[in-house]
Amino acid sequence: MAQSKLKILILDDEPIVCKRLKPSLEKQGFEVDTFNRSFEALQAVQNTKYDIIITDLKMEGMDGMRFLQEAKKIHPDSEVIVITGFATMETAKESFKKGVFDFIAKPFNLSEIQRVVMRVEAKIRGTQG
Amino acid sequence: MFTGLQNLWHRLFKPPQQLVAFPEVFERFQDLLHDHQKIMEIIADLGEKSGGDYVFDRKYLLDTVNELHSLLLRLVKGLNLISGNRYVELYAALDRILLPLEAELRGRLSLTEEMPYVVGLKEAPLDLPELVGGKAGVLMEISQRLHVPVPDGFVVTTRAYRRFLDHNQVEGRIHSLLASWISEKLDTMQVSRQIQYAVLAGVMPQEVAREIRREAQAQPFWAVRSSAFGEDGELSFAGLHESILQVPATGLLEAVKKVWASLYSPGALSYRRQVGLLGEEAAMAVLCQEVVASRASGVVHSLDLEAPESDGLVVYAHPGLGRTVMEGRANLDRFLVERRQPFPIRTKNIAVKESYRRVAPGGGEEEVSVDPEEQERPALAEEDIQTLARWSRTLERYFKRPQETEWALDEKGRIWILQSRRLTPPQPSEAPDICESCSAYPVLIKDQGAVAHAGVGAGPVFVVSSDQDLGRFPEGAVLVTRYTAPWLAPVVPKAVAMVAERGSPAGHLATIAREFRVPTLVGVENAVALLPAGGDITVDTHNRLIYQGRVAELLRYELIQSTAFEDAPEFRLLRRLLKRIAPLNLTDPQDSNFTPEGCRSVHDVIRFVHEKAVQELMDLPRFLKRFKEARVCTLISEVPIGLKIWDLGGGIDPQARGTQITVAQIRSLPLQAIWAGVTLPGVWSTEPVAVDFKGLMASLTRTLGDGMSAPDYLGINLAVVTETYLNLHLKLGYHYNLIDVRMDPDPHHNHIYFRFVGGVTDLTRRSRRARLLADVLSRYHFKVDIKGDLVLARILHLPQEEMRRRLIALGQLIGFTRQLDMQLKSDEDVGHFLEVFVQRLEPAGDPQSPQGGKDGTEQVENPHPGR
Repeated sequence: MAQSKLKILILDDEPIVCKRLKPSLEKQGFEVDTFNRSFEALQAVQNTKYDIIITDLKMEGMDGMRFLQEAKKIHPDSEVIVITGFATMETAKESFKKGVFDFIAKPFNLSEIQRVVMRVEAKIRGTQG
Repeated sequence: MFTGLQNLWHRLFKPPQQLVAFPEVFERFQDLLHDHQKIMEIIADLGEKSGGDYVFDRKYLLDTVNELHSLLLRLVKGLNLISGNRYVELYAALDRILLPLEAELRGRLSLTEEMPYVVGLKEAPLDLPELVGGKAGVLMEISQRLHVPVPDGFVVTTRAYRRFLDHNQVEGRIHSLLASWISEKLDTMQVSRQIQYAVLAGVMPQEVAREIRREAQAQPFWAVRSSAFGEDGELSFAGLHESILQVPATGLLEAVKKVWASLYSPGALSYRRQVGLLGEEAAMAVLCQEVVASRASGVVHSLDLEAPESDGLVVYAHPGLGRTVMEGRANLDRFLVERRQPFPIRTKNIAVKESYRRVAPGGGEEEVSVDPEEQERPALAEEDIQTLARWSRTLERYFKRPQETEWALDEKGRIWILQSRRLTPPQPSEAPDICESCSAYPVLIKDQGAVAHAGVGAGPVFVVSSDQDLGRFPEGAVLVTRYTAPWLAPVVPKAVAMVAERGSPAGHLATIAREFRVPTLVGVENAVALLPAGGDITVDTHNRLIYQGRVAELLRYELIQSTAFEDAPEFRLLRRLLKRIAPLNLTDPQDSNFTPEGCRSVHDVIRFVHEKAVQELMDLPRFLKRFKEARVCTLISEVPIGLKIWDLGGGIDPQARGTQITVAQIRSLPLQAIWAGVTLPGVWSTEPVAVDFKGLMASLTRTLGDGMSAPDYLGINLAVVTETYLNLHLKLGYHYNLIDVRMDPDPHHNHIYFRFVGGVTDLTRRSRRARLLADVLSRYHFKVDIKGDLVLARILHLPQEEMRRRLIALGQLIGFTRQLDMQLKSDEDVGHFLEVFVQRLEPAGDPQSPQGGKDGTEQVENPHPGR
């Protein structure tokens, strides 16, 4: 492939979310790493630059909000997609007035997230090119 | 959550109150319809989520069940308010249905008193994995759903296990021993020995022993295997629990206890601790099967582990009994077979067999040596190899992962499947780039349609456009169709994937696709034209792509994913919840089972509540009392049935004065539409006798007026209306016709319920008429149930114009049925009259769409997932 692959990090403490998203995004041509614990994800972010971060908000230990702040400190231009429960959607939007590319409410279907990721990709490729 | 239900029950159960005024009843009824609708949407939504296209977590399931719970409480309360508390038993029904749901969500076994101790493999219900355990569950799916033969037998259920523990009072002891183990006061061996001793020393309760002995008589020897709850899911307990072969019938009770005790073997205990299952309830069912005195036996690997990318499967075979095969001691024939129809054999490696084991004449096994000239004879004939190859692929397709399947060939030449489990292929060290591999294949269709069941499947395109095509549908083809009609159902299990031009993920085809786990896209425009008949295609619903050709890399990529979504705990849980939510068992209000006690699912409860609420609304003696305060008009029309209209707001012209109104003054949209149909010229006369509708009406009313034993409320025809609502109650002659319609601008609120019963002639003719009605209604895509002469039909969620079209047809149907039962003299007449009627309907009907719906509409009703 002409362009190098974009790297995606997925963080959700529900393994099912990672298991479902990874193959679908790999087939779209991304390199995908998944994590169920935020501190492990944070370690990964310290070693690798991810172009796109997809994370849940409510998690045991460090929650998604803290994780995002830390990750953004390390790589400010990583694009972020937040997945969150339908009920907490408004609060989530409120808390991240900026710095988040888009929000997706759970449950979501695969094509929904594929579309958002394609939009992020277009944005990243656009700014790079 | 459930505390307080009892209080509520008592609070509500006061002496029958005075009649609630109709406007209030109507208001409650509207609320009730709204909640009913909401619950129907949740049921459809859950069904759709079970198709694998959505990503959801356990929290979603918890929230949804909670929401269902509050809606149901409100619904039941609403009905009791309308009816003066005549249905308080519904609260008990709610408990009965909701408590197990809660138990499921908490991961608890919910076994009830009605569940059997022992159940036959062929009869056992597929929807109770907690009762029969994992291994038996898999075999039941193989035999009952996939129709691949497994040796007959029975299951000693987890309920029997529970009963055994209770009877011997060992549960407490098990718990305290496990506690000592966790706190490391005892080591694994000590705990295991003590628990196993307690179980083995237990006495089998009489009622359980009796049932086992009764079943045991069928055979002299049995194969006895563990079937633990939770086994064969994502977790593999392979080899940790006991299996005992060649058990004499008289030794079954002891063997069952041994298998139960193996739940606490050192290995099983350590494994459960390791995977965090110790806190969960352990329960063991025991599978007892006929012993196949096998002439040959072996295993099939649905994927060649030595060369996963070569698209081959491997059949291993050896003469005699299977134990030597499984223990790896035998020299095996190895047949490498193409993974595709017609399963040609690529290579045969025939082993030299010096001896084999067989069943000894007096029971037990014996070793037999093979004559030198026989030693290189293949253990299996070619056609048997192909049969096994086909089954192996069927199993893989259904279970979604490569399968290792044990088989046996008996003395009569029949092949049996003994077990099937997941085969884990080695992970390729250097995984090829899946995106790049796929991009080498031309894409035929992209981003079209909706996912009914998720997955990847490849095969030749076979277009089905009529039921004549069904018989020719080849195993392993991709079903491509314009419609999503129920008559497609028989070929669904044979399909590797399905693509339909119409339909929705909440429709019938989607439900069947989920039951058989067939990857399915619906609503793919032009699929029939775009997909080459006979050519290979690959359907990938995850990315909504259809490729030309077999994308072998993608098929392999799917197979080696860690878990098929169908096996993820969330999906398994959802399917178990759905079994208690979605099936509709109460279809016929005339059935003696149509009671609060008869409700077995959430769907049953809302069906019951809805029916009773409508009845309440239509209960004429009450209605007449309620009438007193209402303003009721009589409709003046060329169709002289004296229709009384009760307007609850916006249903008739506000300028109308007096007690009579004209057709032009009707403002109620549904009544306008129906009346347009009733008064259409020329639809009433049916061959061979042209009958003038007015005359017919008059003659019938006259006849009935002459004192024939007419039912009650004769001649009272009522319409309760608002601008968008109609509840029409017709008693014309002996027919009893009830139509309830909501016709909002928002299609989601809309429904037509149609009920028709009774008639002047004998039951046979009335049934004939019922079938005719059903045929006509089906052409309008109603979901129709008939029982005897009762016709129940409904359709949901159509836009106003579509509703109108159907209401006009119903109007025509009302007139048409007036005389039918007198004229339908033979079954052939049904077809004839259908023709006549449909011809007459043409201006309003849709002659071009035989089954599927030209408009692509499909009802969001009756999801029935995975029944």
